[in-house]
Parts: sequence; C-alpha cells; structure tokens
Amino acid sequence: MRILHELGVVLEVVKTVENFAKANGLTKIDTLVLQIGELSSMIPRYIEACYPAAVDGTLLQDTKLKIEILPGNAICKHCEKVFNVIENNGVCPKCQSKEFNLLGGKEFIIKEIVAC
Amino acid sequence: MSSFKVIEIKESVFSDNNKQADKLREELKKNKTFLLNLMSSPGSGKTTTVLRTIEALKDEMKIGVLEADIDSDVDAEKVSKTGAKVIQLHTGGMCHLDADMTNQGITELGIEGIDLAILENVGNLVCPAEFDTGASKNAMILSVPEGDDKPLKYPLMFSIVDVLLINKIDAMGIFDFDIEAVKKRVEKLNPNIKVIPISAKTGEGIDEWVAWLREQVKKWNE
Ligand SMILES: Nc1nc2c(ncn2[C@@H]2O[C@H](COP(=O)(O)OP(=O)(O)OP(=O)(O)O)[C@@H](O)[C@H]2O)c(=O)[nH]1
Ligand SMILES: [Mg+2]
Ligand SMILES: [Zn+2]
Repeated sequence: MRILHELGVVLEVVKTVENFAKANGLTKIDTLVLQIGELSSMIPRYIEACYPAAVDGTLLQDTKLKIEILPGNAICKHCEKVFNVIENNGVCPKCQSKEFNLLGGKEFIIKEIVAC
Repeated sequence: MSSFKVIEIKESVFSDNNKQADKLREELKKNKTFLLNLMSSPGSGKTTTVLRTIEALKDEMKIGVLEADIDSDVDAEKVSKTGAKVIQLHTGGMCHLDADMTNQGITELGIEGIDLAILENVGNLVCPAEFDTGASKNAMILSVPEGDDKPLKYPLMFSIVDVLLINKIDAMGIFDFDIEAVKKRVEKLNPNIKVIPISAKTGEGIDEWVAWLREQVKKWNE
C-alpha cells in the first residue's frame, strides 16, 4: 500500500510537468527538481523507487530526478527559538515547551525543470 | 554542446488535481448533483452505511453510487440490489481516487437526474486525504473497534472532512472507546466538523446522519 501512495503522487507530478512542457513548447527535459518537506507524507526513497515506472512512455522518460529536502522547522510559542522538529522530537531545546508553530516542512513542490 | 536552461515552476504538486476537482465540482453544481466522498479504513462500515443511506433517502431523491475498489466487485453487487445505479471503479492497485478518475466514474454513471451521488473511496486513511475528488462534501467513518486514538495518528484525514461518523457504536461495550475524547481530538484539528455516532447495523443514529445529509443536499441546490 505504502509505495503505491507515492506512485499515485508521482503520476500526478508527471502529468503536471507534461502539461507545463506542452504549454511552453518543450520537447525534452533534462532534469526535474522536486522539493519535499521532511514532515510531508512523501518518502523520498519511495519516490525514487517508483519514478522510473511513473515516467515510462512519457515525455519525462529520460529525465533525471533530483530531490531537495526542506527542513521541518518550527518556532517555539514560548521563547521564540527556531528549531528542527524532527531532531528535537517536537520539544523546544531551549525551554522544553512542546507548543510551536510550524514554519515549513510539509511542502511537496515541483521546483523547476532543466530543459534543453 | 547543448545549452540548458532552468525553468522555475514552483507549483504545489496537487494543484493540477485541485483544478480538475474544482471543475468537476462546478459541473456537478450546475447539474444540481451533490457528490459525497465517503472515506474510512477497510471494514469500518462504508458499504453498510451506504445501504442504510439509500434505504432512508431513496423515496425523496435519485441516488447513484460509485464503488471504488482496488480490484473487486463485491460492494457494487451489494449496492446494486437496492435498485440504485452503481458504477464499479477499479483503481488498479492505486490507493486513492483522484479528480480525474472520479470524473470518469461520474461520466459513466451519467449525472442527468441524479440528486445524490455517493463515492465509496478506497479503504485507507492516508492517501485519499491528499486528493480532492471534486466532491461537494467529504465524510469519513471511524469505527469503534479501530480505537479512539486515530485522530492522533491520521490528523490530515480528520482535518479535511466535513463530517465524522463514529460507526459500530453497538459494540461500545466490548471496546475501550471514548467518544468524548475523539470529539475533543477531532475538534482541535477541525473546529467546524460535525460528529455523529451511528450503528449501521442497528440503525441507531442513522436519522441524524440522514438529516445532516439532506440539509447539505438542499443547501447545494440553493
Ligand atoms: N457490529 C457492527 N458491525 C458493523 C457495523 N457496520 C458494519 N459492520 C460490519 O463490519 C463489516 C465491514 O462492513 P462494510 O460495510 O463492508 O465495511 P467497508 O468499509 O465497506 O469495507 P471495505 O469496503 O472492505 O473497506 C461487515 O461485516 C459489517 O457487517 C455496525 O454498525 N456494527
Ligand atoms: Mg465497502
Ligand atoms: Zn522554547
């Protein structure tokens, strides 16, 4: 079940990029760059695993995949320290508070493509 | 040497699906067809609840059902016995439906004259939460045997639905399930959510659920 989740989402990415390419008259894409937040439900390793199957027979068939990870950072509601949620297990390293506002980390973005 | 250029896209991956979903929603609205997207874990009681709902509403509105399943027809067969029009959608291994697949199902069903279309999504609490199907309203079922901690484990699903049905309340005596705790956890994620305890088996609470649904259908057509 798990890996299929990523496959569905990667197919969505392929569709979006193909539409973009058509609209902009691109015929070949060298590299596709995705940005994935550390706290997103997408797991980069699984995305890489199902990518070849997802692009097979599409405009992205020979396109390289690059994934950039965006940090899951938060700001403490009590002392305003900015910290990484995963590294600190959701606890502020300065005042030990568990209340924070997330600054990022749930993204799943098609950042850019490198085209010829 | 070929020269490469970097083209910024900066588009959230779901925006394409979201656009399709909005388009479908608009079409349904024009046609006065209300689409309910029903989600839950496998076995929580989606099909049983759909049967109860059809039974309660079939004299007041024309109902169509989309049964999404990875690869079987069992649920569609059960529902077709009610006389409601049913379309089976096979997701071919995919763990959710997107707006495109829903649109195909709706086209096959033919929405002309359909007042209420119910989509039984694939049994799964993770993936369907991320894909807008184009539904008018989203509902989920949490059944008593699954436990009252599920809002903590699957926060996204609980935060996107309009109504939560707590099913199998006839089995409350056997399981440690704290309805108040669920309500509190869910309302923290989703302050506007409506929570309705039901038993699709005994029929308890179905009246309240059907009343909620009837009201939503009415609002949709205003
Ligand atoms: N005790 C009790 N059992 C129920 C209730 N609702 C459903 N069930 C039983 O739970 C089992 C699963 O119900 P379904 O309606 O098939 O569940 P589902 O969510 O459609 O299942 P999938 O489509 O396989 O994901 C069946 O054996 C039902 O008879 C209820 O309110 N109480
Ligand atoms: Mg079912
Ligand atoms: Zn702090």
